[in-house]
Amino acid sequence: MITIELNGKQQPLPPDSAVSDLLSIIGSDGKSVAVVVNDHIIRPENRPSHLLQEGDRVELLIFAGGG
Amino acid sequence: MDLLQIGSYTFSSRLILGTGKFSNASVMLDAVRASGAQLVTVALRRFNREQAEDDLFGPLSSIEGITLMPNTSGASTAAEAVRAAHIARELSGSPFIKVEIHPNPQHLMPDPIETYEACRILAQEGFLVMPYIAADPVLAKRLEEVGCASVMPLGSAIGSGQGLATSGMLNIIIRESGIPVIVDAGLRSPSEAAHAMEMGCEAVLVNSAVAAAGNPPAMAEAFAEAVAAGRKAFRAGLMQKSGSAVATSPLTSFLGTV
Repeated sequence: MITIELNGKQQPLPPDSAVSDLLSIIGSDGKSVAVVVNDHIIRPENRPSHLLQEGDRVELLIFAGGG
Repeated sequence: MDLLQIGSYTFSSRLILGTGKFSNASVMLDAVRASGAQLVTVALRRFNREQAEDDLFGPLSSIEGITLMPNTSGASTAAEAVRAAHIARELSGSPFIKVEIHPNPQHLMPDPIETYEACRILAQEGFLVMPYIAADPVLAKRLEEVGCASVMPLGSAIGSGQGLATSGMLNIIIRESGIPVIVDAGLRSPSEAAHAMEMGCEAVLVNSAVAAAGNPPAMAEAFAEAVAAGRKAFRAGLMQKSGSAVATSPLTSFLGTV
C-alpha cells in the first residue's frame, strides 16, 4: 500500500492506483468534483491514466453554498 | 428588452443570489427558483463523503437558465484566489468568477491590493471577473482599467444587514463607472435593493437577507420584485429634489371670490 494525503488526511491506497480509482474507492462518481494533485488540476479525461504516488497531496473539491 | 449585460452574457434578471447560510439545500433551491436569479454564486469546499448533500453543482445545474458564479472565498492572497478560480472554472465551465479576498474573519473587509492583483491576472486569462470590493471609487476605476467585467462594492459589511451605509461612495462609483456596478453585501430588505437600483446599480447580489429570512423563498420573490421596480424607476428617471415645497395643485385663491 502507498499513503497519500487526501484533503489533509492520510489515505492508504493500493500501488498503481489512478485518480479515477481513488474516486471509486471513496464513492464519488467524479462528475462534480475537481481533482488537484500536488497543485495541478487533473482533468476528467486524464484521471484514468494519472497514477498516484506515495506522498501525493490530493485535494477533491466541490461546489457548496456560498455568497 | 432591458437586459443586464456582463461580457457577452445577457440576463433578464438583475438579482444575483448567493447560496450560503440556508437551513438546507431544498430551501435554497426553492429560493433560487422563486428569485428568478440567473446568476448564482457558489463556493469551493473540500469533498466530504459523509456530507454528500453539500454538493450543489447537480441540483443547481438542474434549474433551467442558471449560470454559476463561483467565488474565491477562503483565499487570503491573490495567488490563492487565482488558484481557486482555475479550479472553479474546471467545475463550473463558467467564465464568471467572483473575486473575494477577505483575510480578516472579524470584519470580512476585502483586501484591495490582493484583490487588484488577482483581478488583473484573471482578466488577462479571459475570466469574467466580478470583484467584491469596498465602496472605493479609485479602486473601482482601477479594476475597470485592468479588464474586470463588473465591480461589486459592498453596501455594508457581509451579513450585517446594515443596508446601503456606503451610498455616498456608491453614487460616485456608479457615476464614474464604465462597467456594471453591482451592490454586493450588507442588504437586509427589498427596499434597500430597490434603492440601490434606483441609484443606477445594474444589479444587486443578496444572500443573507434571503437565507436568514423567516421564509426564504418568499423573501427571494420580494427581492426580485424590488429589484425590478427599482430598475424601472431608474429608467423612468426620478424627479429632481427641491429644497423647498413645490405645489402640485393651483394655489390661486378662489374661495374668497365666490
